[in-house]
Amino acid sequence: MKNLYKNILYVLALGITFASCDNYLDDVPKGSKTPTTLADFEAFIRDEYGNQVVNVEQAISLMNDRFQTAANLAYYRLTNANYMWNENADRIDLNQADETTYYRTYAGISTFNLIIENALTTTEAKEADKRILWAQAKILRAMSYFTVTNFYADTYTTANASKLSVPLITSADINAPSKQVTLKEMYDFILKDVNEAIPYLPKVSQTALHPNLGAGYAFYSRVYLQMNNYTEALKYADMALAENNKLFDWVAYYNTNKAIIDVPNSYTTTPSPMGYNYVENYTFRHGSSYSLGRELSIPVERAQRFEAGDVKYKSRWKIRTVGSDTYYYSTMSGMYNFGGITTVEVYLIKAECLARENKISEALAILNTVRKTRILPASYADISTTDKTTALNAIFNTKRNELILTLIPFADARRLNAEGTYPFSLSKVVAGVTYNLSSTSHMWTMTFPQGATQNPGNGTITQNVAK
Amino acid sequence: MKKLLNKIRFDKPFLKFDLKMKLTTLFLLTALSVMHAGTSYSQKNKISFNVNNMTVAKVIERLEYTTDYRFVYNVRSVDLNRVIDVNASETSIEAILNKIFNNTSTDFKVSGNHIILMPKKLATDKTAEVKKPEADFIVKGRVTDAKGMPLVGAAISDNGSGRGVQTDFNGEYQIIAVSSETTLAFAYLGYERQEIKVAGRSVINVVLKEDVQELEGLVLTTGYQNITAEKVTGSFSNLKAKDFQEQRLNSLDKILEGRIVGYQNGKIRGTTSMNGVTKPLYVIDGFPVENTKYNQYFSIEENLPSLNLEDIETITVLKDAAAASIYGARAANGVVVITTKKAKAGRTNISYTSNITVTPYRNYTDNLTDSADIIGLEKGWADGNPNLKTANASTYAQSLLNNAAFTSLGMQTILKGYSGALSQTDANNQLNHLASLGYKYFDDVARYAKRDQFYTQHNISLGKGSETNSFNASLTYKNNQLEDINSENESIGLNLKNSTQINHWLSVDLGSYTNFGKGDLQDYYAYNPNNLATAGFKYQPYNQLVNDDGTYFTSTAAMRYNNFTLQSLQNYGLYNMDITPMDELGRNVSETKSFLNRTFAKFNVKFSDAFTYNAMFQYEYGVDRTNYLREKESFSVRSQVNGMVTIANNAAVYNLPYGDILKETNQFTNAYNFRQQLNFAQIFNGKHDVSAIAGMEIRHNKAEYRDDTRYGWDEQTLSFAPINQVSLLGVYGSVFNGYMSSNNFSAERELQNRYVSVYSTAGYTYDKKYTLSGSLRWDRSNLWGTNNKYQNKPTWSAGAGWNINQESFFAVNWVDALKLRASYGIGGNIAKLSAPYLTAYYTNNGNVGGVQGSVNSRPNPELSWEKTTTKNIGLDFSLFKSRLSGTFDFYNKKGEDLLASSTGIPTEGWGYSTYNLNNGEMTNRGYEVSLRGTIVKTPSFSWDASLLYANNKNKVDYVNVKAPVYYLQLDYPSAYPRVGNNYNTIYGYKWAGLNDKGLPQVYNAAGEKVIYNPADLEAIHDYGSTVPNHSGSFHTSVAYKNFSLSALFIYELGHKVRNTFLPMLNNNYSGALGGYVTDITVINKNIVNRWQQPGDEAFTNVPRAVYEYEADFNSASRDIYRYADINILDASNVRLSNISLAYQLPKNVVQKVNLYDVRFNLNAENVYTWAKSRDAKYMLNGFQSPSFVFGVNVNF
Repeated sequence: MKNLYKNILYVLALGITFASCDNYLDDVPKGSKTPTTLADFEAFIRDEYGNQVVNVEQAISLMNDRFQTAANLAYYRLTNANYMWNENADRIDLNQADETTYYRTYAGISTFNLIIENALTTTEAKEADKRILWAQAKILRAMSYFTVTNFYADTYTTANASKLSVPLITSADINAPSKQVTLKEMYDFILKDVNEAIPYLPKVSQTALHPNLGAGYAFYSRVYLQMNNYTEALKYADMALAENNKLFDWVAYYNTNKAIIDVPNSYTTTPSPMGYNYVENYTFRHGSSYSLGRELSIPVERAQRFEAGDVKYKSRWKIRTVGSDTYYYSTMSGMYNFGGITTVEVYLIKAECLARENKISEALAILNTVRKTRILPASYADISTTDKTTALNAIFNTKRNELILTLIPFADARRLNAEGTYPFSLSKVVAGVTYNLSSTSHMWTMTFPQGATQNPGNGTITQNVAK
Repeated sequence: MKKLLNKIRFDKPFLKFDLKMKLTTLFLLTALSVMHAGTSYSQKNKISFNVNNMTVAKVIERLEYTTDYRFVYNVRSVDLNRVIDVNASETSIEAILNKIFNNTSTDFKVSGNHIILMPKKLATDKTAEVKKPEADFIVKGRVTDAKGMPLVGAAISDNGSGRGVQTDFNGEYQIIAVSSETTLAFAYLGYERQEIKVAGRSVINVVLKEDVQELEGLVLTTGYQNITAEKVTGSFSNLKAKDFQEQRLNSLDKILEGRIVGYQNGKIRGTTSMNGVTKPLYVIDGFPVENTKYNQYFSIEENLPSLNLEDIETITVLKDAAAASIYGARAANGVVVITTKKAKAGRTNISYTSNITVTPYRNYTDNLTDSADIIGLEKGWADGNPNLKTANASTYAQSLLNNAAFTSLGMQTILKGYSGALSQTDANNQLNHLASLGYKYFDDVARYAKRDQFYTQHNISLGKGSETNSFNASLTYKNNQLEDINSENESIGLNLKNSTQINHWLSVDLGSYTNFGKGDLQDYYAYNPNNLATAGFKYQPYNQLVNDDGTYFTSTAAMRYNNFTLQSLQNYGLYNMDITPMDELGRNVSETKSFLNRTFAKFNVKFSDAFTYNAMFQYEYGVDRTNYLREKESFSVRSQVNGMVTIANNAAVYNLPYGDILKETNQFTNAYNFRQQLNFAQIFNGKHDVSAIAGMEIRHNKAEYRDDTRYGWDEQTLSFAPINQVSLLGVYGSVFNGYMSSNNFSAERELQNRYVSVYSTAGYTYDKKYTLSGSLRWDRSNLWGTNNKYQNKPTWSAGAGWNINQESFFAVNWVDALKLRASYGIGGNIAKLSAPYLTAYYTNNGNVGGVQGSVNSRPNPELSWEKTTTKNIGLDFSLFKSRLSGTFDFYNKKGEDLLASSTGIPTEGWGYSTYNLNNGEMTNRGYEVSLRGTIVKTPSFSWDASLLYANNKNKVDYVNVKAPVYYLQLDYPSAYPRVGNNYNTIYGYKWAGLNDKGLPQVYNAAGEKVIYNPADLEAIHDYGSTVPNHSGSFHTSVAYKNFSLSALFIYELGHKVRNTFLPMLNNNYSGALGGYVTDITVINKNIVNRWQQPGDEAFTNVPRAVYEYEADFNSASRDIYRYADINILDASNVRLSNISLAYQLPKNVVQKVNLYDVRFNLNAENVYTWAKSRDAKYMLNGFQSPSFVFGVNVNF
């Protein structure tokens, strides 16, 4: 009998030995994996939906750079408040939804944190390539912080430096601490990231979504400009233009597509040249939409602020009336670099810096270089003046038009308004009522969405504006 | 392993069976299973039988092996060692027996297929008795049933000696008992076994009670072992084929619904998991069968297992820990164990069942707006529109027409009236005509696009058994003609099963189930109640499918597209964009073919009476292939090809080839399961009944999904046009704005789950009175934590039972059985898609190339299986000779470590979604009562009734989540459960009536009436659960002679349903108008009672129709109305689920045509639903039409 039990145990033990073979259970489910190699992490940068969307919808609405139908204004109360410059509106109460500007930007920051934490210890990679990815994630994280800081916090000035900005979080861990730092701390953090990244950025990057060295310099220039540091801004603008100074020939584009563009009341599209292969790109990021499509429509009043003969504008929008609404409707299809950085911005930063140093003719030469590629020869005339204000206003006007539907016109307006010398304000008449957006309005700072303030994580969030 | 077994077989003496022991076993087997065999069998069969120089024992063995005859004898009365020769050909059994026993002291008698050997009467004279000083004690008597009819062939055995005899034709017996103090056992198939102490009596007359399958004698199977009801400590519900024979066997859940107490909406005893699987585990003949597949949207679906339902012999539902814990990590949701039929030795059984089912198409329109209502709303849009009051009205109207802002026939007629394209009179006449059309479109759909559903089903089963072999086969064919005229499916299921006793220590079971299926699914729906947009054009009740002149209605491109699109369509010569619904109906029908095979082998080794060993293996393989061929003529293809057109050099570039488009989907599933276990069962000293099993199990499930789409497909030549995927991904159509994603080319998914488990159970019963049981199991899986400590948590259970009626102090005549049970234990559950580490998913990036990755889930190193602790107390009783029986169970299921949502933090990048951690806690508490009674019972008339009642209350005890935004609480209540509430709670706002403009209002947290979303979680309240508190059924059946009539009512009480079919216009985004507009479409008829003028708010809760040009137009109105408590309806309902009338042909008629049994039945299914309100009934799908079934069942 004893042998019997022994034998039974044998049989069972056999099975158990087979079963406890670890390989059998280590067969990880397919369809997803734990990132380990450099390529695994590098792929996050190509996740356009998750990490490359720079949606600043409310800023564009406040600027009246996009058209809103009456029905939409009735439907979306926060949009209505910003679009109609309603200073009495409690935008904190109205910002109930998961505002993409906040949610998506921080989701991107989380991914960049993950890359920064892991890139240098990834496998299957050369040391230099690990550094490149690490540096690129730092640039993208800094760009994302620049976006939320210039949206939810007050403008950076020396006087404002100790005011709160937005939550700073530098780890992708669960329950990582976050702190709503001061504007100075935030800008210091951004500058430090860029400074650390620049030595490792490649002159030519993997794709348009991966920042290259030019993108690093261009973004540096943008940040210094926003801090009113024209010397540094000019320095890095020059370095960026040394990497890439190409401008797209919109006149040629128009001439090629004239047959479609010039047909009145036809909204058949022409392909957007402003996608991943746009010659002006330093780095590409999306605006509010990350899929192929048309641009947003713009109001008639806004369209009137483009220069006569501007074929970049003419190629993009055409007047349209549907029922009671008349607006300019997009006639382009494809992708648009609304969230990254392009050469034209750097040209105009350079122009502004030169003008501010009273190098007016040098500044205007830069401005005219840009204009020549946009304006039909028949309508074109050089802008020439010796007046600093006139020159600067011409530069600002071109910049607002060139960078319409991005964060930059909004950020510039805030910067100029905080400076007070060249303030930007808006005014319109709707159904006989006059509406104004003053340069000193509290509306230039947006409210955090409720979901963010209610779930701040391991930190606190304080609204930077009362309503 | 084989070698090992051989060694055991030949080296160990314990395997050599004592013949006496064998015969006893054989006798018991015989007594239990073969008694019912026909009596006129032996004379007819001629046997050839030749043996030489063989002992009588071997001869008997040989005869038993080669024929159906079984010997019953007392070893002392037969000289088994005598060596004989028998040579017989084509002779009767009696002749052979004569040859064997002629001139011996043994006499024989053939009774049925039993051969009873006994000492010759001559030999039992006094001298013989004197020779045996131990003095056998002779007992004789008569065995009858309750009515006094003799039971022929009843088995009487002496527990002391193992001797046995059978009753003769008069029900009389005579047995030589080992002593006057021994105990005799009386058994007869279909009757309860009785044991009687002889106590010196020489005449014992016995009345055997008919076995009405109550507690005693009932064997429950857990899939791992069989347990007799008296030893059970857990909560089981049991169904036998007879219990649902009145039902059409079409789906497993229909069989369980209303028949298993606590089974509701596919779940057992409530919702036990927040993110894991909530459906029970299905087990067929001992093997778990998980039918997990991907659907076309790549999400995982748990389907019911496929089998021939006619094969089901019993269904046992394991509900508490003591019953189910042995299933370890999948036990928490309960287990449904299905046993298929196994032929008994004896008569060959062939049965044929067939039924046809008709479900008339029901066109229920009573709660829909009709043509006049819609025209009224459309006119309302024009009447209030300030743009139509100005001098520019005609320009405005023309602009809307040019831009195809509104495409319904009514709106276009109105606008044409204003633009001048029609005179106002003509426009009004046309509108009046449209308004008069009632439900024209719905009538046309019913007439041309729908049909009555027609299901046919045939099954043929056969079973043939002998003592050493049992064979079953069944074939089921189903053909279903579905409601949509091009949708149908058919399937064939073939089941084969064989059990063979290879020798006295080894038996082998082999089985195989194969299912072939084929189906067509219509792709174009003229309408779909849930998705009004699928028709491809804006239809209203006044639309038609077929014009008055008999031609097919066509929605032309001009009716739907704006001027410049139409211009481009023409300029660039694009494909026609018209839709003719009657032509579209038959296009793009997708065809599915499926194959499934499940094959198993089980080896049962009997080491000794006490020890047995089983090893079993099952392999399952399934293929589902779908060919979705979109014909180039179809609108779907035309619009996709046109959508991808870009313009270059002022000419159209067709980026996608025009031609048929074929999407092929293949899904492969495979699963295997290997189990081996050692069983021990022994009764010590007649009182200590000990049983135990120990074993291990390996399980693997895999599903692989892939689809491929080919463009420019030619079905005839099997060729296709190559496409440039990279460039297509960058195309955004110039005219129709089409684009593609990589899923338009191909997609692939894979799911693999593996488990390794070790388990053991033990049971101890003392004197049939007290039972203790326990189980223990460890599971490991590739799903769970990287950290072993979370994998090593065992599931276990303990239970106790007390058979009160067995107690000597409990002598109550009218109580047949009374049992108290209690159990405690843990069951597990899993979430199939969770992983412990940070995971990312990777797809190709069509824009910049390369691979893009996105974080899927944050690391969760403490991931483990969910743990549900169940306490159960139950009482089983049977009274008045089983006229009334029932069970009562109280349970408390406490779920811990449930995968629960935790609040996503935007700043951490997890703002949109929550993430899951094993930290949720939830309790399901309830009780279940089932009562069955025979109210009237006479030979020709009987009336039975049964009542099932289940009470379930669910409460969330702990979660660490709060909805980040108010609407998530309303839209995704299950992702943000509130502690203290039912997990299935419906949340809503407190209704505050309409305001003086007819806009809906609710109360905010401060109790003020607001017209906007309060946007405050405090304003959102709990309005009850979507899962009924009370559920159950009432079943009644009467039988009169050969007729029986039964009805099954199923009730669900105390729950809520949100009314989603509202009498309020929705707002939808309009591309043409670049914003949200009021969508005038078919909605709840109650809109006729809407607010029309100030003051109406006192009488109605139906909001005003607000149009997009009004200042009052906002997104909140519909939201707060939709979420207000007035739209949370009482969902209590009673359904008359099935009525069945059956007629059994009289036996004497049937037997004349050599049949055994013929039964006809006529059923009505889903007969009627009673609900609290019309809206509630509509939400509960209560307006479906009943199905009528005609069926016939023939047994040969």
